[in-house]
Amino acid sequence: MDLKITEQADNLLKDNGVRTEEILDIIKNAESGGSKLVSKDGNTCIAKGASENLTIYAVYSATELLDVYTHKMNILGITGGEIKPVEYDDESDWVCAKCNEPALERNVDMAYLGVTRPGPGIVCPKCGEMYVSAGMAKSTLKTAEAILEEKRA
Amino acid sequence: MEPIESIESLCPECLGKIDGIKYVEDGKVYIKKECPEHGSFTTLICEDVDHYLQMEECFDVNRSRARDSLTDIQKGCPFDCGLCPSHKQDTCLAVVEITDRCDMGCKYCFASSSMDKSLDPDMDTIRFMFETVKKCQNKPTCIQISGGEPTLRDDLAQIIRMGKEVGIDHIELNTNGCRIASDQDYFDSIASAGLDAIYLGFDGVSDDIYMQRTGKKLFDIKAEVINRCEKAGIGVVLVPLVAKNYNLHEVGKIIEFAGSRVPAVRGVHFQPVFYSGRAPSGREGRITILELLRQIEEQTGGQLKVENFTPSLMPHAHCGATCLAVIDNGGFLPLTNISLGAIKSASDVASKTKKSIMGRWKGSEKDNQDAQKEDTDKASCGDLIVKSSCCEKPLTQLTVKGSCCEKPIDEVIPKKNRLESGWADFIEKSMNSYLTISTMAFQDVWSYEKDRVENCCIHVVTRDGRFVPFCNYNMTDCDGRFLYRNAA
Repeated sequence: MDLKITEQADNLLKDNGVRTEEILDIIKNAESGGSKLVSKDGNTCIAKGASENLTIYAVYSATELLDVYTHKMNILGITGGEIKPVEYDDESDWVCAKCNEPALERNVDMAYLGVTRPGPGIVCPKCGEMYVSAGMAKSTLKTAEAILEEKRA
Repeated sequence: MEPIESIESLCPECLGKIDGIKYVEDGKVYIKKECPEHGSFTTLICEDVDHYLQMEECFDVNRSRARDSLTDIQKGCPFDCGLCPSHKQDTCLAVVEITDRCDMGCKYCFASSSMDKSLDPDMDTIRFMFETVKKCQNKPTCIQISGGEPTLRDDLAQIIRMGKEVGIDHIELNTNGCRIASDQDYFDSIASAGLDAIYLGFDGVSDDIYMQRTGKKLFDIKAEVINRCEKAGIGVVLVPLVAKNYNLHEVGKIIEFAGSRVPAVRGVHFQPVFYSGRAPSGREGRITILELLRQIEEQTGGQLKVENFTPSLMPHAHCGATCLAVIDNGGFLPLTNISLGAIKSASDVASKTKKSIMGRWKGSEKDNQDAQKEDTDKASCGDLIVKSSCCEKPLTQLTVKGSCCEKPIDEVIPKKNRLESGWADFIEKSMNSYLTISTMAFQDVWSYEKDRVENCCIHVVTRDGRFVPFCNYNMTDCDGRFLYRNAA
């Protein structure tokens, strides 16, 4: 798959400290192994990969890399340990491609520099794969990481 | 006995310059020095050489010197203060003493203050001191009004107003709080004059402690000062002198109390007793930074550990330690840890310390006003400074930089995602509910190291317009005779 990387996407890669080969590898692995989220309309995918201390997400269409985001936090697991049924509608806009199962919006525990807290995640109820949305990673997690890193300054 | 390094120090008897050695024995760090006339003196500096060295490793600042030296080198440090050209560090906090008088009569007092008939400096002299700070200190300018007890002066409000007129950015008041607690009109007048923060003597949470030092029951007075400052939006830093056989057993309770009064209380700044000026005879009360930190760890039930204290961004790795903690469900969640090591910092020690003084210790209401002001004059003071690729801003102003959004946090993090006790909640607490716990070990003639004082950034302004590093200014020989104070 030959993806177009626009100047904007290239800047995102640089901002996040991700190399082009790295993101292409992540997408290639997701495509071959099927571990990815697909939007319900089928047009957009999210693939996830990890480098040293960094979780990297690629949002892409069939032709183009649309977005790149990262978090340094480590996703430990579902808050509370298992996926229990809830009364409200918790279905996300995404489907786990491997299981063909709608992914759920559930809290996951994330840890960074000795502090563990829950935050909203996107979880496949079947295989248990956990993702974080772009909005969550770019705002909340990035800010919390910066606060915790301030302790070095 | 394993030597670490040789040092230059002073003889406790004659205040003459003598050489000494810093060495390790049984894992502890000592200073030993010898005066040809008065013999040798040994002082314990740290109980654990590993911690001592770890603090050095973690300490890393870029220095900036004062804009100009005001005196020449003649006899060498510490005898040419003013600052002299050998001084390596710009002023971060200038102490301006507006009176020598004090009615408290404390058992411990590094200034040896009493209700004598000494003359207070007049307004012209104080203006000159302020102007000297304005001229010599790099921006932003920070002043602590001290004494004696500054609130004995009826014209304190005029003094503060004059400081602001001269253009001093931050003015804090070092006080025992008695007049503030008893005289609302007086407090209103200094608050409206532009006072930024109160540095409140606070040795404990029980009257028993205050009775020992002053013969007076003061706890209710201290609590009332905090109430009044809270209403006026003026930040309070609690400043306990700490000594063995005095209040060392209460440090945990002091921190707990401070946590319960956040955000009115912005910090606790422990000052281990140092033997300059007036103190009980013998030196049994002495404690090291590490001893204090161990007590804090024990008395907070391990919530704040020794490892959570990093070297303060102060003159020297061994001058102070700081911990920043979020108040979390009634407990403390420390944000600092020495094991994370040092990072290369772009800004110098004085400007960082000033940020800390101005931001973390200032009233929260004033933070907001200043944050707005900052937009226009681009001053860099603030509270939690978040360093990221491109922005260095107070947390309250932090915007999230991403591909598409540069918005205040409130807009970026939707309310529905603010899970209680989740990461969004953590961010909110970090912004609004945190406490700085710090300590500064001032030097006396027993612990004196020239290297530390040459890097000092807390300077007392003399009436003739010189700057003297705080520890030198208050340095006394073993009989209480000052090197600079009174003579200056």
